Amino acid sequence: MIVSVTRRDGTPIEDGWIQLRLDAPRPGRFFSTDFPFVEGSQLLDMRLPIRQGRVQWQYVFPIRGQYRMVVETVAPDRKTADATFYLAVKESEKKWLFLGFFTLGIFSLGVVAGRLFSAPQLPSRGNVSFWVFLLIFCAFPWVKASAAQEAKSKTYQARLAIDAHDVGKLSQIRWTLVGLKEGKSPVVNLSLKIFHLGKGQMVFVLEKIPVAEEFSLNFQFTDGDKYHIDAMAELDAQEWIHSEKTISLSGIEPPPSAAIPTIVFFLAVIALGLSMGRWSRHATAPTGSARLKKDAV
Amino acid sequence: MDRVIVPWLRVELQEYVYFLCKSAVFLAVCAAILYVSLAASYPAVHDTLHNFRHALAVVPCH
Repeated sequence: MIVSVTRRDGTPIEDGWIQLRLDAPRPGRFFSTDFPFVEGSQLLDMRLPIRQGRVQWQYVFPIRGQYRMVVETVAPDRKTADATFYLAVKESEKKWLFLGFFTLGIFSLGVVAGRLFSAPQLPSRGNVSFWVFLLIFCAFPWVKASAAQEAKSKTYQARLAIDAHDVGKLSQIRWTLVGLKEGKSPVVNLSLKIFHLGKGQMVFVLEKIPVAEEFSLNFQFTDGDKYHIDAMAELDAQEWIHSEKTISLSGIEPPPSAAIPTIVFFLAVIALGLSMGRWSRHATAPTGSARLKKDAV
Repeated sequence: MDRVIVPWLRVELQEYVYFLCKSAVFLAVCAAILYVSLAASYPAVHDTLHNFRHALAVVPCH
């Protein structure tokens, strides 16, 4: 993501900083997302320096919906400006496709059951085939199923401290440059990466932001899993200070009632399938006279 | 109106009533299966079906 900061005449602001706040989409009316505790919560709160008129970072949005990003800019002459952006994030197409196939599957189950239940008497063959079908449906394999570390440098060390909180709350990530020798701390270019170990995905990246002594970031870990935080600071003399840390967050289970709308939806699909099965059974059933002829033969 | 004899109850019911009874039992079984699969927090079930829940996009998970 890139935020460009310009003056009214269009010239970029070379120096200064922005305070950024990112809020997650509000909860939906009927269906939940797969991370209900994230909905409506604050995801990010950070202060970043402006470089060449812009601020850049990478972020993986955890859920679908409309995000709200509030940016407050402070120019070197202390003039401030606010802006609010709304970002619409769509759900993965693969997930919608999978949901469609699953809905079609349970609808088909309802149709088969509706046809079998509509028979005047359950024939033994139909009875057996139905229970075999149900057994396969049920047995179908759904799924393939803080101690700070310090990297040694000749002159400086870095301390990475993480005050981790559960999903739904902001955690504080603080990187501090500690000089072994007394004197003024230099400005370093800090790169910060947050890696979701469970998904094998980089969820947040900041590249080479100038930092003097300390940088802190409020970040919400949206999934109860293991995360790896990696900070690399570049000194002027091509000296690198590396610090990293792995944290484990316990997830919060949503209340079972949160899944009720989804279950009701799936049951409605099955019920629709049942009525369709009954209708198709009656539509294809032989008429009374045809049945009599068949019996006479 | 067709009438059927329920073998295991030995009663005679109208066909559509018998269909509704069977459908109600069937939907109850489906609801139980769906609840356990999609909403139960029992670790063995949750861990096995965790990715499946997320893949459906509308099932809340942690």
